[in-house]
Amino acid sequence: MTNNKNLLSAGLHIVNRHKRFIVWFWVLNLAIAWFGAIAFRQAITSTLDHSVLSGRLVHGFDVPVFIEMMSRPDTGSTEVPTKSSAHFGLVFFLVTLVFLPGVLENYTNEGRLSREEFFRACGRNLWRFIRASVLFAILAAVLSSVLFPAEEKLAKVAGNSTNELLTFYTEIACFAVIFLVMTCIRIAFDLGQIDAVFRDQRSVVRSVLRGFRFAFRNLLSLLSSYVVIAIIAALILFVGVCIWHLAVPPSSILGAFLVSQLVLILLLWTRFWQRAVGAAFYLRAMAVVPAGYVAPEPIAPTTAVPAPVSGPPTEVPPV
Amino acid sequence: MPLSRLCAAGSLAILGISSLAYSQAPAKAATKASSAASPIPETTISINSSTPLAQRVVAYAIDAKYDPKTHTLDGAEVLTYHNLSGQPLDHFPFHLYLNAFQPKATWIREAKAMGTRDVEYDKWEDKRFGSEDIQSFEVVGFGDLTSKLEFIQADDDNKDDKTVVQVTLPKPIAPNDYVQFKIKFRDKFPETQARTGWKRDFVLGGQWFPKVGVWWHGAWNCHQFHATTEFFADFGVYDVKLTLPQDEVVGASGVRVNEVKNSDGTQTLTYHGDDIHDFAWTASPRYLVGEDTFQGSMGPVQLRIMMQPAHWSQEARHAQILKQTLDHFERWYGPYPYKTLTLVDPEPDSAAGGMEYPTFITGDTTWWMPDGLKLPEIVVEHEFGHQYWYGMVATNEFEEAWLDEGINSYTEVKILDSILGRDTSVMNLAGMTAGERELQRMQYTAFADFDPMARFAYKFANFNSYGGVTYGKTASVLLTLEKIIGEDTVQKAVHLYFMRYRFTHPTGEDFLKTIEEVSGKDLGWYFKQAVYGTQVLDYEVRSFNSVPTNWYEKNAKEKKGETVYDSTVMIHRKGDFLFPVDVEVKFDNDEKVREQWDGQDRWIKFHYNQRAKVKSVEIDPDHQIHLDRDNFNNSRTQEPHSKPARKLENYWIFLSQCFSQFLAWWAI
Repeated sequence: MTNNKNLLSAGLHIVNRHKRFIVWFWVLNLAIAWFGAIAFRQAITSTLDHSVLSGRLVHGFDVPVFIEMMSRPDTGSTEVPTKSSAHFGLVFFLVTLVFLPGVLENYTNEGRLSREEFFRACGRNLWRFIRASVLFAILAAVLSSVLFPAEEKLAKVAGNSTNELLTFYTEIACFAVIFLVMTCIRIAFDLGQIDAVFRDQRSVVRSVLRGFRFAFRNLLSLLSSYVVIAIIAALILFVGVCIWHLAVPPSSILGAFLVSQLVLILLLWTRFWQRAVGAAFYLRAMAVVPAGYVAPEPIAPTTAVPAPVSGPPTEVPPV
Repeated sequence: MPLSRLCAAGSLAILGISSLAYSQAPAKAATKASSAASPIPETTISINSSTPLAQRVVAYAIDAKYDPKTHTLDGAEVLTYHNLSGQPLDHFPFHLYLNAFQPKATWIREAKAMGTRDVEYDKWEDKRFGSEDIQSFEVVGFGDLTSKLEFIQADDDNKDDKTVVQVTLPKPIAPNDYVQFKIKFRDKFPETQARTGWKRDFVLGGQWFPKVGVWWHGAWNCHQFHATTEFFADFGVYDVKLTLPQDEVVGASGVRVNEVKNSDGTQTLTYHGDDIHDFAWTASPRYLVGEDTFQGSMGPVQLRIMMQPAHWSQEARHAQILKQTLDHFERWYGPYPYKTLTLVDPEPDSAAGGMEYPTFITGDTTWWMPDGLKLPEIVVEHEFGHQYWYGMVATNEFEEAWLDEGINSYTEVKILDSILGRDTSVMNLAGMTAGERELQRMQYTAFADFDPMARFAYKFANFNSYGGVTYGKTASVLLTLEKIIGEDTVQKAVHLYFMRYRFTHPTGEDFLKTIEEVSGKDLGWYFKQAVYGTQVLDYEVRSFNSVPTNWYEKNAKEKKGETVYDSTVMIHRKGDFLFPVDVEVKFDNDEKVREQWDGQDRWIKFHYNQRAKVKSVEIDPDHQIHLDRDNFNNSRTQEPHSKPARKLENYWIFLSQCFSQFLAWWAI
């Protein structure tokens, strides 16, 4: 538990030291979503902007008015705005893929990288991260093809029970298991990516395997840290939506915008926190690597000393 | 219901039943003249009235044994029929509704093609199979006529449909004479479809016994069972003995008059119903039962609320809406004369929720139902409403479904508006609101020009059109009628219609004439379009502008309050439904002008010459025209107001960001 606590606080320390990344990613997230929403905006403005009826969406949320608006030929199909936003969602995915190595490079260094070093790290690791993502997608697809049908079958069996709540509890239990399994995989890949960045490891498979080795040797500590942060994220979302609903007047666009964006920043912060926990764990693990291990040439930042490990590797670790 | 009360009622009922009880006597002994059959009993055990309320045409005495393991029921039915047709009758059609649940039956064919509201037939499953087999058919005075039975398919000529069977007697039954049928039958219940059947250890016995058609307007009215149709039957007396395992908690139409524990682990429950035209029952070992009483204008009504264990916390919620609904119906439309009302919360996912039978209705809820979602209230109110529109005013649901579902949807809107609020009667949750009247309207507008209301239920274009027009359009037509003759007048007309036609089989004409009578107006122009036509009502503010009268002057400057404008407002009738409309024109000096247009032409222009510009124009500013297909084009403002769009855009952006964050952080 103490170990876990230390990991969480070490991660928190890292993520708070590099808050600017959260801000940058949030700006990108917002800008990209804003562009993605142009199609939706265009679709609804022709219906709403000159109609008295649309006032019923301002001082509350009249569901029939909303449905009527969405079903009007003038508004058009929801397919176009949905596709547009989905495509821009993919853009954010790609942007994250590009810039994440730079973030991890920073997280594994004590100092602050220069802009040039940041982008160099991004460029150097882009192809590795793409390959890692493909590997993750394959593994996640394989696991999903086993876990989700199993969940469906179990829920179906539970559905035959005369206990109405059994289906619900079964589904909750199944989703909890799926979440934990997927989180384990995610932890392994997070560590693999950190390994690729920190050791400048060209073989992604080797890094990922190393990530799995680290992850499973310290599963309890890592998993509990990730789960705690995930719970915090869920709470942030829940509390944020409650505040949005209870404290912000329905007609206050600015208030709704501020609260919603604050929630999104905090959600980004929690995921960066998880990444930072991975980085902190990795650095600790590297501090006690086996005697025969030859450390790769670290990336030498020009503005800061590389992240010091806590001492020379001297013994076989009980990692 | 307290047992002591049941026993007192039971002793009375048994007297009535004994004369009708199914006899195993040899055919020879039974082949007396038809006139020897027992008349219809004059009992009033289950109603708060000392005399019968309906002209009783039928009396059913059924002895049924249900086996929950095989979902089968063996029944012996004695049907006494009073020939009130005024002419000799030599053939009698019977509904065998459960035969609808067979792959080649009309019901399944239509359901497969059009869809139903809850069961999909992508592939046939044996558990969906239902049947109602007549094992013997005897007519008192004529002997065993089982071999004379023939299936008929008057609606669609589908020879594989066995939902109507007919018998032709050797001799006709004279006018005003009685005939008695003794029928042995075996039911195989399907997994619940169309509000009947089993699910897990639950069963709802609806449309489960051979039921004679209705002699109506000089002919037998006995349609095949269709995917979109419901039922039609004569009023009478029901005495039903149900035998099933002792652990089953049972609810049924009518009052329970006797209860016997049998030595073989079964129980036999006897029910009696007066002045009803159907009988349904349910059983499950897991029901929790709440009881309550409503003091009606004709006497107390025992409310029996049978809940699923996981829904028990909502029992009070169900009782409350039931009592509030009863109260409104009694005050607005007329008295509820029955002594009981059983509300059943059926098995989850059972396709048995939201159904009406005489003095017996099913609700619909889930264990997680939040207070802000009013689904249980809507369903309970709606199904109770059917006690009036179908139960007592027993219209032909095969041919004029709008008279029960539609009028019921209208009264549902009115009563839920009163109880739960006009804009919150469906939902008032997390800042989101929805009102019943708007949802009824939207249900209709999606299928506005497919079918008229006055169309046989099984002849609609599809299931959605049937639902949209029968429920949604009728409600909207009656709500819009309030604009023409006034809300109070419509209520008075519906009240008179109920009082005049309760316990009869009125037609749409009867209903419409009652409205005209009460309002004192000729409403043919409206009913022709709204009830018998498919015209679509859609008015729009086509355009408006304000031009300074001195526009041609050089260096002319506009000054608020001083410059005179020539303003023109153009209203356009987009649809083919002619209807008078009000138009409200607002000027930028806050002055308002109300115009009226008869809507006969395709468009109209209103001209103004004022020291103010037109700020906005709104058609139907009081929101009384519920038939209008598009409410957004009913108004137009000069200046755009972007707040609604920005609000929705903010939601959209938030959701997009959540999605992209999730995608990025999970997959990288």
